[in-house]
Amino acid sequence: MTILAFDTATDVATVAVVRDGEVLAERRSRAIRILHEIESALAEAGVERGAVERLAVGTGPGSYTGLRMGLITARTLAFALGVPAAGVSTLDALAAGSPGATPVIDARRGEIFTLQDGQPSVLAPEDLPVVPGSLYVGDGAVRYRGVLEDRGGTVPGEESEAHVPWARHHAALAADFGSAERLEPLYLRVPDAEVAVQEGRLRI
Amino acid sequence: MILGLETSCDETAAALVTADGEVRANVVASQAELHARYGGVVPEVASRRHLELVAPVVERALADAGAGLADVDAVAVTRGPGLIGALLVGLSAAKTLAWSRRLPLVPVDHLHGHVASLFLEPGSVEPPFLCLLATGGHTLLLDVQDRAGYRVVGTTLDDAAGEAFDKGARLLGLGYPGGAAIDRLARAGDPEAFSLPVARVPGFDFSFSGLKTALVYAVRALEAGELERRRADLAASYQRAIVRALVGRTRAAAEALGAQKVAVVGGVASNSELRESLADAELAPLALCTDNAAMIASAARFATAIPFPDYLALDAYASAA
Ligand SMILES: Nc1ncnc2c1ncn2[C@@H]1O[C@H](COP(=O)(O)OP(=O)(O)OP(=O)(O)O)[C@@H](O)[C@H]1O
Ligand SMILES: [Mg+2]
Repeated sequence: MTILAFDTATDVATVAVVRDGEVLAERRSRAIRILHEIESALAEAGVERGAVERLAVGTGPGSYTGLRMGLITARTLAFALGVPAAGVSTLDALAAGSPGATPVIDARRGEIFTLQDGQPSVLAPEDLPVVPGSLYVGDGAVRYRGVLEDRGGTVPGEESEAHVPWARHHAALAADFGSAERLEPLYLRVPDAEVAVQEGRLRI
Repeated sequence: MILGLETSCDETAAALVTADGEVRANVVASQAELHARYGGVVPEVASRRHLELVAPVVERALADAGAGLADVDAVAVTRGPGLIGALLVGLSAAKTLAWSRRLPLVPVDHLHGHVASLFLEPGSVEPPFLCLLATGGHTLLLDVQDRAGYRVVGTTLDDAAGEAFDKGARLLGLGYPGGAAIDRLARAGDPEAFSLPVARVPGFDFSFSGLKTALVYAVRALEAGELERRRADLAASYQRAIVRALVGRTRAAAEALGAQKVAVVGGVASNSELRESLADAELAPLALCTDNAAMIASAARFATAIPFPDYLALDAYASAA
């Protein structure tokens, strides 16, 4: 089984080509270059695009724009190549890279995305229940290192690979392959304008 | 065939156009209703919807044309200007479709796309001509010497004409999007009922913000309950003022530049009064005035294609500058 996996939800986008559990190629880049990296990774792995059998894509949470680039690429690839796809949360992929660690993604606006009781959620870094001595990984952990370390948490150095949602983990975690149309992005927040309408603040 | 994609604002569109300019399919999924509750296009809402609509719209276009991806020779896509998050959805899809079959990608300037709505069959318009491009985001006078591009000779200094229609409609309580609503209501009103002046600016430029202010004052001057009764007159007078400004400037520019032919494109080109006032001009077909992908595929016939794989890291741009 040859899986093409990628994640563009965070500033570091990743791609991996994995065959029967063996990582044939893995690259990191930025969301806008994802197709370029896919092409390079397939070439490096010696896999023709027609030989890709499954897609695994990161469904966030993360940057809305980055996330959408990955999902539209996955949906379009699934259509063009005629292969099934599966979504994997970027938080789950991060966690898989550092067993026992808590994944923390920068949600901008002073907030973070993390797993709470296994569920993706958005909250202020100050509201994260930090367990002294435990490990926190991801770009959100790097950004709010001070908040986490002040309360006894440990955050690996900025350059650590632990902060990257490596796509090999998406390939490993992917299950339930099917139509790419079902793959939903994890935005975790409604658009500001929608909040304004619901709170009656937007007059039209 | 060229497969065109357009996602620069609140329309998700795909089209198939032949090298000769025949439209084989032209699918437009408008999000207007979705944005009506916000009183205007919300970029994040638009981007989320594009993600959901691109694949169904492309599949629908292929089905309408009775074609498959194997029949596509090039993929054309709007690269800008527009909402960056929205553009990136269409661009990513287009790059991926092109990549999957090693096809060339043709990035298209959205405004060139509007002009190229005139280059489709039947009735393709031969340059040179002076083109009035009036949309929700732009009001331009373009010197079009050939099908590959244009030179800007005039622009709006503030609001675009379509934006003026939309803001006016909002003031009159007609909802969003407002151009078509004003157009409809104006038919029942007296265009001379209110005198709403449009600022005259030097050169071939436009200015519509003062007109909007004039409408605000006209509405305020009404007695309570009177707005309902005078709404049609206000719509007609407001539309008359915008159309007069557009027509006046366009005719003056055509004369000054010695243009033999005048053309009108963009969403505002669907306005009935504007079409009547410029009946001697080349008017974009009604179906191709507001955003669509047929015009993008049309422009691609005259734009520079990027061969595989040079476009894989191509980015979009929000504004022309
Ligand atoms: N019948 C009409 N009369 C006047 N204005 C109209 C009419 N129909 C549509 N419009 C206006 O056209 C605009 C939409 O046109 P279009 O789709 O070409 O613009 P856009 O794509 O949003 O802007 P741009 O092309 O500059 O990015 C809106 O402002 C709308 O109110
Ligand atoms: Mg437009």
